[in-house]
Amino acid sequence: MDFGALVGVFLGVALVNNFVFAQFLGICPFLGVSRKVDMAFGMGCAVTFVMTISGVVTWLIVHGILTPVGARLLGNPEALYVLKYVIFIMVIASMVQLVEMYLKKFFHTLYTAFGVFLPLITTNCAILGACLLIDMNEIYRASLLKSAVFAFGGGIGFALAITIMAGIREHLRHSNVPKALQGAGITLLTACILALAFQGFAGIGK
Amino acid sequence: MAAPTTNLQQFKAGLLDNNPVLVQLLGMCPTLAVSNSVENALVMGAAVFFVLTMSNLITSLLRNRIKPHVRILIFTLTIATFVTIADLTLRAYVFEVSKKLGPFVPLIIVNCIIIARAEMVAIKSGVWRSLADAWGCAIGFTLALCILATIRELLGAGGITILRDAGWAWHVSPKAFEPHAWVIMIMPPGAFLTLGVVIGIVNHLRARGARGGA
Repeated sequence: MDFGALVGVFLGVALVNNFVFAQFLGICPFLGVSRKVDMAFGMGCAVTFVMTISGVVTWLIVHGILTPVGARLLGNPEALYVLKYVIFIMVIASMVQLVEMYLKKFFHTLYTAFGVFLPLITTNCAILGACLLIDMNEIYRASLLKSAVFAFGGGIGFALAITIMAGIREHLRHSNVPKALQGAGITLLTACILALAFQGFAGIGK
Repeated sequence: MAAPTTNLQQFKAGLLDNNPVLVQLLGMCPTLAVSNSVENALVMGAAVFFVLTMSNLITSLLRNRIKPHVRILIFTLTIATFVTIADLTLRAYVFEVSKKLGPFVPLIIVNCIIIARAEMVAIKSGVWRSLADAWGCAIGFTLALCILATIRELLGAGGITILRDAGWAWHVSPKAFEPHAWVIMIMPPGAFLTLGVVIGIVNHLRARGARGGA
């Protein structure tokens, strides 16, 4: 496995195809939890953590269980793929639970740092989105390592986006925003300018 | 706004006063992602209509049997089942559009609009009330998506094309404008810009309406 390809995957998903600014995944927490930098950073780390684990686990379930079982019992490797979505969402929900219990027991400082964000992540569409994108793409379907790097890079890209946004919003509090645009309106317009900036990354990591 | 008392009011609340996208700001991800063309918006709206109707129907029928502590799990599994059906149907009949929608059809599973309707209405109301609510919200969602998609496709592509792959195109295009189309409007920044401006306008109109009405 050459290292360059992995760096390409990472940069591609973290910057060029940033989950928030190019693929519109995880917009709800992006609008909701981006008021303060430390909260945004906590959310970003929690998402990266769960996204990497869920990406790997769903890959293992699809290729380690669904495909061989479907091939052996039903004669068609894709026969059980109808169960994919139900399984993905259950894996993510239970992963969040497991990660929460594990952190609480063994890494208590990290657990208190993540705080309320862990349970919120179950309905974060960026996590399910990462699992689905891995499953839809030939390159990631063929390699577990690339899938793991993709999921990790996606999480880092999300963390980057939400932290930048929170930094800007902390300053926006002191500016004179028209009444109708306060809240979601001005955040979306700021996101528009940030998305324009992220368009500038197109071309690297290819 | 007074709480809706009849089924018709419940329907209207989801459609306008309590529009899930423009007023409640739910389901932002699909709104931004699939509003780049009217065709995508309509197909996505149809998928959400189907899933929301079935999930509200099932939840409402089971409302006396679901134990409170497992309700979210039941909602999610019901929704995931119907999303799988919708996804397979779309792939069978409108493959091109379903490919363009990418992960956003399966992502209906975690769409907050659908869980919110199950939790707020279907779990404690009768079947007809839940269906009226589902239809109001689903049509309200489609309406919001279509408004955004119309703006973005007109400015970004110079005209609106529906059903190009099926062979009969419907192209409304101000010819003078087409060569000067702003491609940025159908790209990601255009999505944020359009939604931000439309939400601003809606807020302004609501504030004025509240002042005028009182």
